[in-house]
Amino acid sequence: MGSGELRYEIAQNAYIKLVLHALKHKTAAVNGILLGRLSDRGDAVEVLDAVPLFHSHLGLLPNLEISLLLIEEYYGSKGMSIVGYFHANERYDDTELGGIARNIGDHIFRYFPQAAVLLLDNKKLEALSNGKDRSPVMQLYTRDSSKNWKLVSSDGSNRLITKEPTANVVLLDYMTSGKWQNVVDFDDHLDDISKDWLNPDLFK
Amino acid sequence: MVTKSEEDQLNRLEAQVDNAGGGAWEYLCLVRKLKVRRPDKVLKHGLAILNDSKKRSALGTEEWTLCEQVAVAAMDCQSLDVAKDCIKVLRKRFPDSKRVGKLEGMLLEAKGLWAEAEKAYSSFLEDNPFDQVIHKRRVALAKAQGNITTAIECLNKYLDTFMADHDAWRELAEIYISLQMYKQAAFCYEELILSQPTNPLHHLAYADVLYTIGGLENLQAAKKYYASTINLTGGKNRRALFGVCLCTSAIGQLSKGRNKEDKDSPELQLLAVAALEKDYKQRAPGKLPLLTSALKSLRVSS
Repeated sequence: MGSGELRYEIAQNAYIKLVLHALKHKTAAVNGILLGRLSDRGDAVEVLDAVPLFHSHLGLLPNLEISLLLIEEYYGSKGMSIVGYFHANERYDDTELGGIARNIGDHIFRYFPQAAVLLLDNKKLEALSNGKDRSPVMQLYTRDSSKNWKLVSSDGSNRLITKEPTANVVLLDYMTSGKWQNVVDFDDHLDDISKDWLNPDLFK
Repeated sequence: MVTKSEEDQLNRLEAQVDNAGGGAWEYLCLVRKLKVRRPDKVLKHGLAILNDSKKRSALGTEEWTLCEQVAVAAMDCQSLDVAKDCIKVLRKRFPDSKRVGKLEGMLLEAKGLWAEAEKAYSSFLEDNPFDQVIHKRRVALAKAQGNITTAIECLNKYLDTFMADHDAWRELAEIYISLQMYKQAAFCYEELILSQPTNPLHHLAYADVLYTIGGLENLQAAKKYYASTINLTGGKNRRALFGVCLCTSAIGQLSKGRNKEDKDSPELQLLAVAALEKDYKQRAPGKLPLLTSALKSLRVSS
């Protein structure tokens, strides 16, 4: 089955972690890695966790390579692999998937052909406080047959959903309480290794 | 750029003020001195002082500096009414000031009135073509609208005249990196290393860019700059230590099958690995096994 019909189901904690990371660094582009596996029936990709990566110099390789090494090492032993990439652009009205996101997506695709690239949707994020929308505040991109990352339209079939339907409610709550201050990314870890990029206590 | 001890001091003051422990004015002064961006805290605590007439008059002439600081923070937080009020007060006090004019231009930017802001800045520059701040606002204006090519052009033109502006070189380098124009970014870091040769962050960024461009020569050069970063930081910079490991591994892969003379000695990598393991053992022991097995996969087999 090609990526044409696959659903992408993102766990609440993974989803919230990524959005909070973007909110912590409002004036910068940020990115993150999606971890998970293919569902038993092969009809969906389950994104079970996420690791926020960087908030500066996203286009440089060395720190990316180190982080991927450590992430693969850790999650491999838990039966998960890297299943996708998350990116949030620097500017509010920049809705394009840029070169850096595409290149990193390509790299992940080589190891996991059902990989997804998620781009933060700033307008949807802003509209969250209306409380009506349950769909994730992200755009889904998958690779098409011509090796390009194509936006998957969100009208009609919901190919990107959060596993828990109340994820946006919880997210909104965390946003109000300023929880984004506690998110640790790889940049923070490299500056101070006592800070844990696994964010084990974030949701306690 | 802020040192770790300065950042710790700032965070301590911030926590103190947040918990109503006083020290708001010291905090605001430190934010101004270090030129960091903490708009929500500045707005909250600065406005509290400005709205309290006793505290406000106790500031004397510093009242206007605070007003300016709060105006900028308000614009950053999109509290445009607060910004407008502060600027109005400043305009009344300093009717002919260009400094207030700059704030008025920034308010136009914050409102998204790009054309008006551009007009205001152009007329400023007609009167004073060497106003560095206004030049840089024009770059920010182009960037905010997504005209990255214009931003790069303006910044390059600016640097032709003001080539000692390190912040501008760094901004240009970061824009190039975000567009994956690594060779151009490398040029910027070369300029920075020439003018500030003892600043390890320039060596580190340059090494990162060289590694990203790739190729044997660049990897060997990157390794040298990671080494000079380690030298300049007394071995404390983890990114440089990791960089050495990555370079050695990549160089080893590229020079497989070549003459032994081309191969690097493994000493530097072994030292870097030892330094990293010691660091993790002390400060992040839970992650040490992970680090060790990840680094094992980077070891060059001779």
